[in-house]
Amino acid sequence: MANATGMALRQVRKSFGGHEVIHGIDLDIEAGEFVVFVGPSGCGKSTLLRMIAGLEEVTDGEIEIGGRDVTNLDPSVRGIAMVFQSYALYPHMSVRDNLGFGLKMAHSSKGDIERQVEAAARILKIEALLDRRARPALGGQRQRVAIGRAIVRKPEVFLFDEPLSNLDAELRVSMRIEIARLHRELGNTMVYVTHDQTEAMTLADKIVVLRDGRIEQVGSPREVYEDPANAFVAGFIGSPKMNFLNAVAMPDSTVTVAGARLAPATRARAVGPVTLGLRPEHLVLGPSGDDDLPASAEFTEYLGGTRFLYARLADGQSIVAEHRDGPDVVPGQMVHLRCPKERMRLFAGTGERLR
Amino acid sequence: MSAAAKARRHRRRLWGSLGYHGFGVLASLFFLAPFVWAGLASLRHGTESQSPPLPPWPTNGISFDAYAMLDTFGAGVWRHTFNSLLVSGGTVFLTVIVSLLAGYGFSRYRFPLKNALFVLIIATLMIPFQSILTPLFIILAKLGLNNSLLGLTLVYVTLQLPFSVFMMRNAFDAVPREIEEAARIDGARDFRLLVRVLLPLVMPGVATVAIFAFLNAWNEFLAALILLSDNDKYTLPVLMTAVRAGRLGAINWGAVQAGVMVMTIPCLLIFLALQRYYMRGLMAGAVK
Repeated sequence: MANATGMALRQVRKSFGGHEVIHGIDLDIEAGEFVVFVGPSGCGKSTLLRMIAGLEEVTDGEIEIGGRDVTNLDPSVRGIAMVFQSYALYPHMSVRDNLGFGLKMAHSSKGDIERQVEAAARILKIEALLDRRARPALGGQRQRVAIGRAIVRKPEVFLFDEPLSNLDAELRVSMRIEIARLHRELGNTMVYVTHDQTEAMTLADKIVVLRDGRIEQVGSPREVYEDPANAFVAGFIGSPKMNFLNAVAMPDSTVTVAGARLAPATRARAVGPVTLGLRPEHLVLGPSGDDDLPASAEFTEYLGGTRFLYARLADGQSIVAEHRDGPDVVPGQMVHLRCPKERMRLFAGTGERLR
Repeated sequence: MSAAAKARRHRRRLWGSLGYHGFGVLASLFFLAPFVWAGLASLRHGTESQSPPLPPWPTNGISFDAYAMLDTFGAGVWRHTFNSLLVSGGTVFLTVIVSLLAGYGFSRYRFPLKNALFVLIIATLMIPFQSILTPLFIILAKLGLNNSLLGLTLVYVTLQLPFSVFMMRNAFDAVPREIEEAARIDGARDFRLLVRVLLPLVMPGVATVAIFAFLNAWNEFLAALILLSDNDKYTLPVLMTAVRAGRLGAINWGAVQAGVMVMTIPCLLIFLALQRYYMRGLMAGAVK
């Protein structure tokens, strides 16, 4: 793509009144990549995005967009456009004026503004709204206008700050697809902040998992799901959450959990306590045998397409399993859970992944 | 539902709305009566205006004698109206500009002692300004601004500012930060950001500040009386006391009523022009 530009963060830090909240972030973003920052609230993902936008000062470090150091530039000359969670439309202007405001501030000619606004409206299918006031439009339409305002600026990098959080569930899905389509059509570099892992998994070329102002893992959606760097990433990506069971590594490369003996594909480095991670969707209910985890069912959730079973192991640890086929499980019933050994993940007590 | 029940409900609703509107009409009568009284009384003939005030309306046909008579006081009513408009207009202009900038600063910038300074400004509301008239008079005299409309305007602006700054800070607080940030990304900075994006959004606050500044400056009497010594420079309230004091003990009630009307009309016009914003301004931040 012609206007796709890469981006780089070098040891970016942010302190609020002596209290550091972003601790030296290094990140390279390829041209045309869709990068999603994801993490629990307060992890610094929005702050990081606002620093890229220039709305928040960078305490230390450098931000490059397209090979140009923009760390100390005004937001308007960084070659970025931002879409806010609250839309942030100018309520006293028509949709057309909202879209054209950036160009007007840049002293573009009237004809130019008109052309670009029409073009952006066509891409987002909001031509019919152009001469309405920005205020009364529906949530989805308002977010379209906000995205249109970003497109009109012809930025090198699009920044999205939780753009779908204010929409209802149905609209969120359709706008998500819309944003994916937009990325395919425009081919721009996009940075997207969300706490919703579905959005992260479906949209991203590259997911950046953040916690407490540090990067926990960078990778494709498949990498962070299948090959998590640590227990935090493993627990954050995937729904329901991965089961973390206290286990003990034995000398013969097996682990014991609640009296049962399992043989993961990876072996613990040393004998002693470890954490065994099992995803609910990888657990299979089956007949009793010598390689299973016996548990007593506590209650079940029926979701139509699938069912979640909440159970308790012999030593009282709770475990969640997803099952689609087979008869219903009733509370109190004993079940036998199995997991393919290459799906089992081992973590050290510190949360570090054991490979 | 039976027809009888429906009719009963209908009747109850009719009585309900009758009471509602009836009370409204009655209440507005109470508020309007003095104005109507003064307005009608100002239209009585010269001789008639000296007679007892009942009935208040002109009995011998309408005449504008009272207004002509009003013009013979001081330097002519036009002159004093102009003085009043100059002072009130200047007060509105300066108050809006200063409180707009101050409100923006207090709402959006972080600086040391911000809250202490804000409280200090608000605290000046507790000082009755009558008690500082003497120092004000001395300061103005030292600045060479005594007996000048500019000096009076500056005094009014000073008195008006605490409330206005408070009002404008609340108005700016109600504007989402994201709108300002979006405008910054769009390339609007400083003055253009304030005028093109923020001003339309704080218009209710500006209208409220403008109305209060205008009304207070227009009606203010004591400071004008003390600070102005030239007959030509009197504002309308000062002229009105001259009219009310009468000549040689005889008070021209017709002229007094005419003066009241002249003083009321601009206030009414300003309020009607801005009341749409004013209502919103007062309610901003009430429900969030």
